[in-house]
Amino acid sequence: MATQRVLPQSKESLLQNYNKRLKDDIRSILDNLTEIIKTAKIEDETQVARATQAEQDHYEMHVRAANIVRAGESLMKLVSDLKQFLILNDFPSVNDAISLQNQQLRSLQEECDKKLTSLRDEIAIDLYELEEEYYSSSYSQWDSTDLPLYEAYRRRDSWASPGSSCSSTQGDREDVEGPPSQETNPQHHLNGHGTSSIEKL
Amino acid sequence: MANERLRALEEVEKEIATILQCAGNIVLELSKDKHNASLLDRQLVQFQGSVNRVESELSGQIRYLTQVATGQPHEGSTYSARKDCQMALNRAEYAKVKLGELGRTCEP
Repeated sequence: MATQRVLPQSKESLLQNYNKRLKDDIRSILDNLTEIIKTAKIEDETQVARATQAEQDHYEMHVRAANIVRAGESLMKLVSDLKQFLILNDFPSVNDAISLQNQQLRSLQEECDKKLTSLRDEIAIDLYELEEEYYSSSYSQWDSTDLPLYEAYRRRDSWASPGSSCSSTQGDREDVEGPPSQETNPQHHLNGHGTSSIEKL
Repeated sequence: MANERLRALEEVEKEIATILQCAGNIVLELSKDKHNASLLDRQLVQFQGSVNRVESELSGQIRYLTQVATGQPHEGSTYSARKDCQMALNRAEYAKVKLGELGRTCEP
């Protein structure tokens, strides 16, 4: 790289420490194994008694083997620290992971909303037919202020164009008494629910 | 990309275990009266290969971290997208409840 990065002192010293630990541990493993192999060589001439020399070699091999194991554990700790450092400070991969997750969540949300919208459109059509059926049957009990949805839309269209003649129905004659209230409040309540309840979805 | 680096570090951990395993086998073989030279050679070659791989991989990771580390905390978040998705699921659940009520109303 042409330009040298200027890292904060803590991060730079931390990475230098990682390098030093790596070098020291690898050096320790290699040196100790080499010395064990050298010590395993049997020599004919010794400065002390053979038993003493054997005891010394035995103890030395124990210590060097323990050093190899300690260096191996230190390397494992170093790998663990590097994993932690990578998760916290590898910004390119963190950015990729965040953008991927955002994309997945947004696509799930869009799919959910698209299905809800299509469901709303289908149910609106079915509700329209259900209300026609219900309010034209003998089971409905409604007063002059309650209008079915199709009647409300028909009234609204006729008010929007006052020149058009409206067909005389029973609902019209009953509503003659309260035109001012209906004109000021064209949204009729259907069994207590507003017409905007469907649009809330 | 992050998963690849983490997987590489997990492979390094396995290599370190291999290093210790090979060193132990070499010492075990040396402790016998009659050594198997071919086994010793194989274990030694495997030991040296593992040591070189571990050193090169960890040096590479440290070099990469020296290039990308900024010292600043990452402030990215998926909270907003997660919240929007949660609200969409809540809307779907609400619609399901209302449809259930409508279904019960329409039943004879």
